[in-house]
Amino acid sequence: MTDHTHPTNYRAMLVALVRRVLLVSVLPLIVIATANFFLFFSLNRSIVLDQQANLLRYHRESIEAFLANLTAEVTALAHQYPREELVNGHLERLFQVLQQSAKVITDIGVIDSAGQHLKYVGPYDLAGRNYRATEWFAEVVERGYYISDVFMGFRGVPHFIIAVKRHEGNDFWVLRVTVNTDYFSRLVDAAHVGRTGETFIINREGRFQTKTRFGDRLLEPSGFPDLSFHEGIKVRSLKMGGVGYLCTTTWLSNPRWLLIFRQEIRDVYAPLRNAVVVGILMSAAGVLGAGVLAVLFAHRQVQALKRADAENEALLRRLVATGKTAAVGEMSAGLAHEINNPLATIDTLQTWIRDLAGTPGMSEADRLEVLDAASKIGDQVARCKTITQGLLKFARRVDASPQPVLLSPMLEEMATVMRARARIEGVVLETDLADVPAVLGAPAHLQQIFMNLINNALDATSGRGDGRVVIRTRAADEAVRVEIQDNGPGIPPEHLSSIFLPFFTTKPVGKGTGLGLAICYGLVQELNGSIEVNSRPGQGTTFTVRLPRAAQEGR
Amino acid sequence: MTAIRVLLVDDELSFSQTLAKVLARRGFAVAIATSGEEALARLAARPWDVVLLDVKMPDRDGLSVLADIRALPDPPEVIMLTGHLSRQEEEAGLSAGAFAYLLKPHPIPDLEQLIRQAAQRLQLRRCHTPVSSPTKGGES
Repeated sequence: MTDHTHPTNYRAMLVALVRRVLLVSVLPLIVIATANFFLFFSLNRSIVLDQQANLLRYHRESIEAFLANLTAEVTALAHQYPREELVNGHLERLFQVLQQSAKVITDIGVIDSAGQHLKYVGPYDLAGRNYRATEWFAEVVERGYYISDVFMGFRGVPHFIIAVKRHEGNDFWVLRVTVNTDYFSRLVDAAHVGRTGETFIINREGRFQTKTRFGDRLLEPSGFPDLSFHEGIKVRSLKMGGVGYLCTTTWLSNPRWLLIFRQEIRDVYAPLRNAVVVGILMSAAGVLGAGVLAVLFAHRQVQALKRADAENEALLRRLVATGKTAAVGEMSAGLAHEINNPLATIDTLQTWIRDLAGTPGMSEADRLEVLDAASKIGDQVARCKTITQGLLKFARRVDASPQPVLLSPMLEEMATVMRARARIEGVVLETDLADVPAVLGAPAHLQQIFMNLINNALDATSGRGDGRVVIRTRAADEAVRVEIQDNGPGIPPEHLSSIFLPFFTTKPVGKGTGLGLAICYGLVQELNGSIEVNSRPGQGTTFTVRLPRAAQEGR
Repeated sequence: MTAIRVLLVDDELSFSQTLAKVLARRGFAVAIATSGEEALARLAARPWDVVLLDVKMPDRDGLSVLADIRALPDPPEVIMLTGHLSRQEEEAGLSAGAFAYLLKPHPIPDLEQLIRQAAQRLQLRRCHTPVSSPTKGGES
């Protein structure tokens, strides 16, 4: 038996099968998942970027509108009232008007052309200050109105102002408001996006013009690395303080501030990452499923293969056994011969000892002893002979040497034996045997040929109720013809050409080896005979074997 | 009555020598040949009644020796002895004119009986075939 080599073979086969099935199922899955991922990623990215750009565009418009509206309002107020009216009491009311909807401004003041703070309404102690030397004063004098960057000023607190110049007579004066930086900061950072998204403004030096929700203070350097002017909206990834940000920026027209929306890249793509994780999990589930199926499938295949192999091996073992029997037969004959010769000598010696014991000169007791010993030797020889004769009998039974065989008596004998099976299967087994001459062949081989054919005929007719098999012998010229005829379903024409091929069978798996007819064919060939089949579907089948008659010997 | 002359032909001396002693004690005149050729030479030299012939010998096949013996003028009866009895051999030997075809070891008493019967048959044959004359065996 070679069973011990099989488990490893089957394991390797199983592994190879699983690998192949996995490759076929998982590889496309991975390719599709990867392609989907990249497609989804780039699409999503462009959507995110578009969204941020649009958001910032609207945001810029609202911030610019706010500053423009506030400037327009201050301008309108400055032109609505003469300076004296404001200085003498109207400014408080104006302050209230401007704060009506929200605390948009912190304070308001009137400054004359010499920079003298004539009137101030607000929380700081700024009345009477002179602004002639300040930058913003110079700007507003020159331009007529001015929105400043955030600066410290006299109050020592970061703020920015909107100032408007009003000509009155030959002189001019300035109406100035301080924008509420908290309000403005909130306005700018109105839209909270994600976990880390924030909107803020920096000036051309990169200093914060609004507070951020993460605690950046006004006028602190923002560290924003790219302060060069650009048109429209610009989106880019920048690294700040070791953290990657997606930054969307746009320059305001007045003042020249940079409006920035920034969000940590990790945060930007968080939803995307979640989607990817879900995708990967689904793919993994798919792979796992494919793996389980692959293992199941491969296992089943290997099991089927194992079964087939086991069948083949059983068949092979049977064939080997037949071959072995012949070899053992041959060996038995040789063995018997080799043992019989010395046995003959021993037996003769035993007789000689008995003879000698008969001669006078030996005591009676000794003679009896010697005779007893000799007879025991004789018994043992007889025992050995039984064994060697058994061996020879066995050798003769498996003797494959050709000899003249009379087929009709042999077939009659076989039919008698096989009628038992035929009766069980509801088949009538008839013989129509003529007195035919002997053929030359090994009885064992001849029996095998006809046993196969009769068995096939019984298989074809069993269980039909009207099954009938006829074994016929006829003399034909220099040959003997044997016909095995059945009234079974017949052989389909397309099978007729292959029925003598090894391993061709139409019987259910496990029932036929596909070797029966192939063996018949081989044996008949060996006997210089021929075998042919005549069959029509629905009309039964007749196998005809022709064997040359044995050389004439008068018997 | 003179002793029956028996020629033992066997390549195995231990067997033929012992058998010769046993047969001699039973009143036979026994000689030994260790090969087919030697047997034929002895048979040509003088007449014998019965030959015990081994089938398997190194120089010649017992069956062919049998054929040669049977071809002799006034041939002796031949009893074949073999360690390996096959039906074909037996049939071939008997049809070639052997008196008996025995499987070794054959019981000595039975063998003795067969030798006597063979000698008897030889006797009968010699009486009924006067052509080969009562040259030597006839006077028994």
